Amino acid sequence: MPAPKPRISREDFDALVRASGLMLSEEQKSDLHAAYGYIEAMRARVRAGGERPRSAEPAIIFNPRVR
Amino acid sequence: MMDIPSIAEAGAAIAAGRLSPVALTEACLARIDQHEKWVHSFIRLERDRALGAARTAEAEIKAGRRRGDLHGIPFAYKDIYQTAGIPTTAHSKLLIEHLPTCDATTVTKLGEAGVVSFGKLATHEFAIGGPSFDLPFPPPCNPWSIEHFTGGSSSGTGAAVAAGFVLGGTGSDTGGSIRTPSAFCGLAGIKPTYGLVSRAGILPLSFTLDHAGPMAWTVEDCAILLQAMAGHDPADPASASLPFPDFRAKLAGGIKDISIGVLRHFYERDTTVTAEVGAAMEASISTLSRLGASVREVTLPPLQDWQACCMIIMLAEAYAVHEPWLRTRFNDYGKCFRDRVAPGAFISSADYMAATRHRRELQERLARVMIDVDLLILPSAPEPAPFTKDVASYGLFEIPNFTMPFNVAGTPALSLCNGYSAGGLPLSLQIVGRPFEDATVLRAGYAHEKATPWKERRPIL
Repeated sequence: MPAPKPRISREDFDALVRASGLMLSEEQKSDLHAAYGYIEAMRARVRAGGERPRSAEPAIIFNPRVR
Repeated sequence: MMDIPSIAEAGAAIAAGRLSPVALTEACLARIDQHEKWVHSFIRLERDRALGAARTAEAEIKAGRRRGDLHGIPFAYKDIYQTAGIPTTAHSKLLIEHLPTCDATTVTKLGEAGVVSFGKLATHEFAIGGPSFDLPFPPPCNPWSIEHFTGGSSSGTGAAVAAGFVLGGTGSDTGGSIRTPSAFCGLAGIKPTYGLVSRAGILPLSFTLDHAGPMAWTVEDCAILLQAMAGHDPADPASASLPFPDFRAKLAGGIKDISIGVLRHFYERDTTVTAEVGAAMEASISTLSRLGASVREVTLPPLQDWQACCMIIMLAEAYAVHEPWLRTRFNDYGKCFRDRVAPGAFISSADYMAATRHRRELQERLARVMIDVDLLILPSAPEPAPFTKDVASYGLFEIPNFTMPFNVAGTPALSLCNGYSAGGLPLSLQIVGRPFEDATVLRAGYAHEKATPWKERRPIL
């Protein structure tokens, strides 16, 4: 199954790579750019259904009492 | 050559004086000598230590100091479980010289229970990158068919137990890494409830999704191993301080009191399975019904929602763990690891929090469904083991799997064999329970296993 075509341009993606600090070859950047469509699709899915209430709690618990 | 016993059978024979731990260890080593050259399940075989431990176990048992069913049992650890004085490489060039100074909590517990450690088993690189042919060690081959995938990431454990090199081993499961190799290699493997088994001393992949658990030939063996591995550990911040039952004692009693929900839409609408997997599922539903369970269909949010939630969290957390090395030693990782984890660099904090909020929503939906049913069932995998050459780096991203939902929810999930394909490869059933009701999951799996003939076959090496 081919990866969904990324919506981000190659130029904008290269800027993301620079900001990440990853030192990638051109081939590695091309591969990652091609795979970026998967990230966009999954990101859209976890944000589907509109904005959550500001108070919607994440599934993360912080326990102030260190054991 | 000695037939391969289950842990329960070997434990009983050792207790009765009919089986010597030394003879059992020697028989397993002989099998390894004959077949490991093509199975490639071990990263490090500790032959002398194993024989020494077996002799010690035998002496202790003869002196009346038998510790239980695991005393003298050949066993091995996925190579992300840290072992004092024995290298723990995560199957990676980056940790090739990593020599831990202390054991993972579970290694200590299993050692106290008396297992005979044979050493360290292959894994996908850092429990995610594999199968890979550009690492310091080859990926294992499936004992049922050399060209087929073992599943991962607990690939060496799947191969070694199926081949009868050891009677049990450890796995870890962040998105299916205990249940998938158990499914493809014809084993039983349980991802326990999050918090039941300590993660301390196990190299992390994704802190909130990682689970440690046992893999063995039978469900009963998993119950015996889980007993030794479970329990509160102050060294693991996620460890639950809750009592837990005698899992093996709870196996008996049947399932007449149990209600089961079938997640049919996961495997018939959200994605597809092979005809053989579908038929095996129908047979399992019939078996569980015949044993007295009430069975009906239930519905959850689409499988793709669970996959997206799991993947965003896993990639963000895994990238955070590996960022320093990815920035400085990118090419020392295998390509498969790089393909799968580097995209985590581009997940924002808002994406991560959206996924964790979605995780709570999904968890609550699952909890509501499980008010009315005790267990859920579905296949562990959509097909029998594929050819290793056909496993793609981005497979995790492309096709939603049946295991990730229960990492997202943290619920117990057991994989067990429920038949074979026409080509002789194992098929699998997954049984899921409410949090901390691992005993109910094991009880249903045990009932299914005892009512079916699937454990009578072993791979012909």
